[in-house]
Amino acid sequence: MNVPARDRSAATASGATRVEGSIALVLRAGTLLSVGLLAIGVALLSLAGRSPLDATWPPLDLGRIPGDLLALRPEGFLWLGLLATLSTPLLRVAASVVGFLGAGERRMAGLGTAVLVVIALAVVVAQRTAA
Amino acid sequence: MTVLLLLAGGGFGAGVFGSLLGLGGGILIVPLLTFGFGLPFREAVGVSLVCVIVTSSAAASVYLERHLANLRLGMLLEVFTASGALVGGLVAFLLPDRVLAGLFAMLLTYTGATMLRSGAAAARPGAGPIESGDDPAGPADAPGSFRAALAGPGYRPARLGAGIGGSVFAGLVSALLGVGGGIVKVPLMNLVMGVPLKVATATSNLMIGVTAAASAIVYLLRGGIDPLIAGPTAVGVFAGAMVGSRVAQRIDLRLLRLLFVAVLALTAIQMTLRALG
Repeated sequence: MNVPARDRSAATASGATRVEGSIALVLRAGTLLSVGLLAIGVALLSLAGRSPLDATWPPLDLGRIPGDLLALRPEGFLWLGLLATLSTPLLRVAASVVGFLGAGERRMAGLGTAVLVVIALAVVVAQRTAA
Repeated sequence: MTVLLLLAGGGFGAGVFGSLLGLGGGILIVPLLTFGFGLPFREAVGVSLVCVIVTSSAAASVYLERHLANLRLGMLLEVFTASGALVGGLVAFLLPDRVLAGLFAMLLTYTGATMLRSGAAAARPGAGPIESGDDPAGPADAPGSFRAALAGPGYRPARLGAGIGGSVFAGLVSALLGVGGGIVKVPLMNLVMGVPLKVATATSNLMIGVTAAASAIVYLLRGGIDPLIAGPTAVGVFAGAMVGSRVAQRIDLRLLRLLFVAVLALTAIQMTLRALG
């Protein structure tokens, strides 16, 4: 069945509006979660009386984060907050891919996937080149 | 405790000024951390990238809800800003701090000059934001084509090739210097691609998060981000940006702009001296 161009563009516009609404939600939730976790980490750091400049810089160890969170150690909250910060834009792209696929816009979903591939490449290259 | 407060307070100031003047906080955070707290340049860039992601994510959600950002154009260009940022993140670990400081001094000078120029343009009668002119995008695109999908109300992005090349450069600048790259992307989209200024600003902001995340991941996995410094600074920047966006309408920005240009000039001199050893 042939869909008139005007109907097609109206459908595309409403699809984009839906996608925009859902990714705005992802961004807002991700920001609040990230800042909340970082703020808890900062408060715990302050309560412990540790100076960020004097303290030893704890390495990122994903396996230690749950234990640090349960023990209310600031490192756990700060690392989790940083990971949430870095993940928020990526979740936004993932939400866009899902949204555009749902709206039948495969090209836009493909672009979003390409962004995620570049990010995945960044993870692999950074791990391989890390000292 | 004092250092913690100073980091959060410095971040707050960077967030307020960045928000009032339409800049990401990065251009202020890197000098704050290097000169104020003695951090190595690369570590300051890593922390700055985290702060830039926080402010971009917060602002982008507002821009999207108000339908100001061109999501499709942003998604096209951020493939290339992220690629540039990935390369920039790797190159940053190969360059000496002095070279990075020299590049940052150039960025500060360029930003200061741009702010002075835009301030002068805004003061001229009849001057306003640069809008797309005689449709540089050329003849109309076929309905359903990819280029047609990138169009917004009253404009069609032109010169996609230049936009893509410029986006790679913006990603490189962001990753090397810890800034959002809006100083490259906004003029690129507005002046080269013919996207209205408000849309270019909103779209650039949307792209900053992904761009900075691509290089921040490299910094993080190579041990270039100190969570104890990044935490208080990012919380301060977020709070400052919130306050700045609320008071922006009530402040005369002309004097603030001049003051800020003076600060940029002084910082550029200090960065140049650092670069020269």
